[in-house]
Amino acid sequence: MGQDRENLISNDIGKGVARDALGYDPNALPLEVIDMTVAYPGQPPLLEGVSFKVEHGEILGILGPSGCGKSSLLRHLVGLEYPRRGTALVLGEDIFANGEESLNRARHRFGVMYQSGALFGDLNLLDNVAMPLKEYSRLGPGARKAAAALKLALVGLSGFEYHMPAEISGGMRKRAAIARALALEPSLLFLDEPGAGLDPVTATGLDHLILTLSRNLGLSFVVVTHELRSILTMIDRAILLDKTACGIADSGTPKYLAEESEVPAAKAFFLRDQEERAL
Amino acid sequence: MHGQPFTLKGPDGAGRVLLGGDLNAFTAPRGSLAGMLVKSGNKEITFDMSGLVGLDLNGAAILMDLEKTLGDLGVRVSFEGVPEEEKEIWELARDTSAKIPDTSPPAPLGFIPATGKMIMDFLKDGYELTMFFGEVVIDGIGLLLRPWTGRWATTLKIAERSVVDAVPVTILVGFLVGLILAFQSAMVMQLFGVDIFVADLVGLAIIRELGALLTAIVLTGRSGSAFSSELASMKTNQEIDAMVTMGLSPVKNLALPRIVALTFATPILTVLGDMAGLLGGNVVMVAIGHPVAVFWKELSGHLDLSDIFTGFFKSFVFGFTVALVGCQRGLFAGSGPSDVGEATTLGVVTNIILIAILDSLFAVLFYVLDW
Ligand SMILES: Nc1ncnc2c1ncn2[C@@H]1O[C@H](COP(=O)(O)OP(=O)(O)O)[C@@H](O)[C@H]1O
Ligand SMILES: [Mg+2]
Repeated sequence: MGQDRENLISNDIGKGVARDALGYDPNALPLEVIDMTVAYPGQPPLLEGVSFKVEHGEILGILGPSGCGKSSLLRHLVGLEYPRRGTALVLGEDIFANGEESLNRARHRFGVMYQSGALFGDLNLLDNVAMPLKEYSRLGPGARKAAAALKLALVGLSGFEYHMPAEISGGMRKRAAIARALALEPSLLFLDEPGAGLDPVTATGLDHLILTLSRNLGLSFVVVTHELRSILTMIDRAILLDKTACGIADSGTPKYLAEESEVPAAKAFFLRDQEERAL
Repeated sequence: MHGQPFTLKGPDGAGRVLLGGDLNAFTAPRGSLAGMLVKSGNKEITFDMSGLVGLDLNGAAILMDLEKTLGDLGVRVSFEGVPEEEKEIWELARDTSAKIPDTSPPAPLGFIPATGKMIMDFLKDGYELTMFFGEVVIDGIGLLLRPWTGRWATTLKIAERSVVDAVPVTILVGFLVGLILAFQSAMVMQLFGVDIFVADLVGLAIIRELGALLTAIVLTGRSGSAFSSELASMKTNQEIDAMVTMGLSPVKNLALPRIVALTFATPILTVLGDMAGLLGGNVVMVAIGHPVAVFWKELSGHLDLSDIFTGFFKSFVFGFTVALVGCQRGLFAGSGPSDVGEATTLGVVTNIILIAILDSLFAVLFYVLDW
């Protein structure tokens, strides 16, 4: 943001900080997780003391073997579950500060893509993407349609606006789900296993789409994954979850985790002790 | 909400519109900008974007939609003065949307094709149901010849779930219908002093007609719909495919137990519903001053075996139909998640229509046979 642009923003808004249309400071960190305990009610915690940050335009990976609590962590980060301890800040504001109200506010600033895509089966792709706009924005029908078509074009789904989710392939459904997550122009996107259930070529295509979106729009991503190929192609930095450590075993660039980290969980995850295990 | 509000000044005489502030989904002005701009009478409008301090893809979409709407109304639109910071997003939006092919929603079928499709769908449904009926009959005969191959434990469990659990609702509906029928007819009959015949009216109507009909409708809602949704979700989960590829027949393993259970369970429920209905009629008779025994004496004088037989026979057929249609709709469902709901709805609708048609056919048949 340039100097003159900052001057244009009126000064009556607290402490001279620039605010976006929803009152968030657009320069604050997209996501900061502080000492979070991930647990389901009445069960022992899956993860404890989870803290990490996501920078602007960064693609952060949440890695770990199946069942270590990656999806559960994500459910806590998007407010589908309340953390037993700790919290998460989106653009500098505590999303759990006052219940559903602060959560709903934050939900305009992040988008989520679920493992299955979770498109609404009774709406065509255009209406799937336009739905959040209809609910939360002032856009009229024409502008909504234009905006939704634009998001679909960005993910490479031009021409499929009027297809139903059941009529397109799994990879296309995931792309459409990303377009829907982009509807309200969030600064942060959560993706749960984007490559799951896709063939390697389609999955790689999706990885490249995520990279492009991150570069072109300056979007930050939190990507849950356990596929080595996509970790190495798109992830900037990753946290590695581990069941035995009950939290983050190690974090760093994929190269560091794959080649240098001495943590057993990292060795096991990147199959560096393959020979030993084969015995 | 804070943030820089979006502002729009103009158009001036030369058709210049000055944009300012933040333009996105949350700051966009309500109401139709196009209408306002067209009213100004300019044939050419230039948007000066140099005052914008924020623009995202939604904001760009708003401007491009405005361009298109105005273009359709014969106003030429151009944009200029895009601020340096917003150039990238604006160009991305322009380039991307330039490549969007002109698609329009599939047109709904015209009247004649739509009618044709409806008739074809109807015929296809009828064909599938008939084929399924044939399969059930063949597998049913196979079962009769080799009864030890049947899935009797499942059958019993389904019978228990469909009958025992349906007893309260059947009794309640039967009782209330008997009560209402007796009450309504008693009001008229009392005028003519023939209220003693309320017993015959209620008794005959319930035993010949309503008992079986009401039970069938209750079972359609309770069991037929459950069969459709159970089997349709098994289809969605590929359980049916798994069964077929293991060489097991879904008709024999899934449909027959349900059909057998319901065919033999429905008459039992019908008898219970009949008794509850008669009891309801009796309550009204007592309330208008006839001793309990009068009702039964009057009824037994006019009721003969054929009345009881017709009701009983119908309840067999209805039970069979409800289960047959319920299973058929489930097994023939599509394999998407929304198909479960559709199969269930279609099953219930088909059942209610079929029961109404069968009941009318029976009325004619029994009249001709003079039962
Ligand atoms: N809604 C839930 N309630 C209780 N336990 C759950 C729930 N969802 C997942 N779990 C448990 O949490 C653990 C981690 O699951 P999950 O977060 O889905 O793992 P991952 O996504 O890493 O494969 C599993 O043992 C699972 O059984
Ligand atoms: Mg998971």
